[in-house]
Amino acid sequence: MANRTIPRLLQTPAVVLLLFWMLIPLGMTLFFSFIRYVLNNLRNPHWTSPSIENWRGFGNYQFVWGQDSFWLAMKNSLVIVTSILFLTVILGVLIAVLINRSFKGRGIVRVLLISPFFVMPAVNGVLWINMILDPVLGLQGIAVGAINDLQNAPLVGWFFSLWPTLEPISFRATQTSSIAVIMMVVWQWTPFAILIFMTSLQSEDQQQKEAAVLDGASTWSQFRFLTLPHLGRPIAIVVMIQAIFHLSLYAEIEIVSRGNGNKNLPYYIGELVNNNIGAASAAGIFAVILANIVAIFLLRMVGKTLME
Amino acid sequence: MGRIQLKAVQKKFGDVEVIPPLDLTIEDGEFAVFVGPSGCGKSTLLRMIAGLEELTSGQVEIDGKDMTLAPPSTRGLAMVFQSYALYPHMTVRKNIAFPLRMEKMDPAEIEKRVAVAAKSLNLTDYLDRKPGQLSGGQRQRVAIGRAIVREPSAFLFDEPLSNLDAALRVGMRLEISELHKRLENTMIYVTHDQVEAMTMADKIVVLQAGVIEQVGSPLELYNAPRNKFVGGFIGSPKMNQLEGEAAKKRGCTTIGMRPEHISVSPDSGEFKGTVGVAEQLGSDTFFHVHVEGHEETVTVRQSGQVNYGYGDTIYFTPEEDRVHKFGPDGLRVE
Repeated sequence: MANRTIPRLLQTPAVVLLLFWMLIPLGMTLFFSFIRYVLNNLRNPHWTSPSIENWRGFGNYQFVWGQDSFWLAMKNSLVIVTSILFLTVILGVLIAVLINRSFKGRGIVRVLLISPFFVMPAVNGVLWINMILDPVLGLQGIAVGAINDLQNAPLVGWFFSLWPTLEPISFRATQTSSIAVIMMVVWQWTPFAILIFMTSLQSEDQQQKEAAVLDGASTWSQFRFLTLPHLGRPIAIVVMIQAIFHLSLYAEIEIVSRGNGNKNLPYYIGELVNNNIGAASAAGIFAVILANIVAIFLLRMVGKTLME
Repeated sequence: MGRIQLKAVQKKFGDVEVIPPLDLTIEDGEFAVFVGPSGCGKSTLLRMIAGLEELTSGQVEIDGKDMTLAPPSTRGLAMVFQSYALYPHMTVRKNIAFPLRMEKMDPAEIEKRVAVAAKSLNLTDYLDRKPGQLSGGQRQRVAIGRAIVREPSAFLFDEPLSNLDAALRVGMRLEISELHKRLENTMIYVTHDQVEAMTMADKIVVLQAGVIEQVGSPLELYNAPRNKFVGGFIGSPKMNQLEGEAAKKRGCTTIGMRPEHISVSPDSGEFKGTVGVAEQLGSDTFFHVHVEGHEETVTVRQSGQVNYGYGDTIYFTPEEDRVHKFGPDGLRVE
């Protein structure tokens, strides 16, 4: 057996660096989550600096656990992430299959399809909420206005008068703000899914498809029995990568409604950090646990498809 | 039933004519082999019969019915591909059952047919494996199984043995011939290997650049090649083709002599040459002989183990009644 001391020695700096890189922030978060630590408190000024003397035990955890807004954030996180995953995968598969054939201007279409991915999240949020979804000035407002105006149009006006007048939807409102976030993130991330699925589709064996044609498989059967299983692996990868990214969504939520009605975990923690570092750290630990549960679940899924 | 008739079929890719108009009839129950060098259009022709490639003009008739525009699955043909084209995420059982499932056949009947096909191909123990867990020969058998469950009127094989190693190829060759004897179906088999063509075919179709050079039984092609190309392509080792003095003497431009129809002597004969490489096979010996005035070496086959070494001078004479004569246009002259 070869001597492994030297390789291990050479790896050590990287491993040590990584260890500190992760352990120090995690350790500090853990420490803060067990003490009283607030940035501004006139009655108890000794709480404003981190110290072991301010030990609070599981008090911060109990505080966070008991807050309705924490559970709302938890729920929102899961709703937003799963809806985005669901929509991007379905749209991604459909569009990838659609553009995976030769037609005029395919190169341009592909570049245009990928381009949303290069827009910064904050810009994406501003674009959507002001220019598209705004109930008065955005495309939505204009479109709704135009449809309502049809009721006064000559000749066809009577037909449109049969329907009730449309009301534009305010996407900054509590009930709808997370829908706005989902829409804009889906718009931004579908290209990522398309990109991955498209490369995978190009590696699909054409002889298999010809064999299926001879076996009497319809286009739908070919998609269902050949293309979809072929895409299993890339779908798992897209789901995993996107789940990791979207659990930490922040910019879009800040821009749409400052967290009104669509706070997710990072946003909730961000608000606590304004003053109560201890509680924020406890919430952070909960977020770490949630992320780990999701990660284990996803890694299992990806691992299973890779094993096949 | 499976009589396939091609009437003036033609194929162009853009401006390039891959197959000039061509007529061919394959009788019911016949084992026809399309053979030719790479790029001669044999696979394209097969794909045109299968319906995977559109015809530029002409007609494909199967059992007297015009199938030129019929979709592939309605033609009653089954195809075995060079890459096997198995469905990788399905088990062997599902692979074989796939065409029947697409026909919406009764599951019990599917099960029965798959079992019969698997048994006849020795695949019963592998039914629950996936193609990735099988060897090349087994995958090939699954591909054949997927073809036979449909009970097609004709089988199309597109270079099915090219991806197998030499030993396996011989075995599979026998199995396919065996299958043909048993099923008595029409089979069309595409290969670039003339040994496969000779051993399996009832009828060989030799193609070059999309043109049929000759159609006939293996022995017809061997005994009376219609032109220089067929002469050189059929038979192994290759036929020696000499021009010049010897040809003129026999009243033609080129003579063809097969390596096995040449006798050798150490002291006298029609041609004199020096031995180059000698290939000892045990049962036979192939000499590559350099003859003065000819660029290419002449291959001579001697039965058994004959000891002429590198650089030895030998004399050889072709068997006169087995010399093939070709005219200036490359065609055979009698």
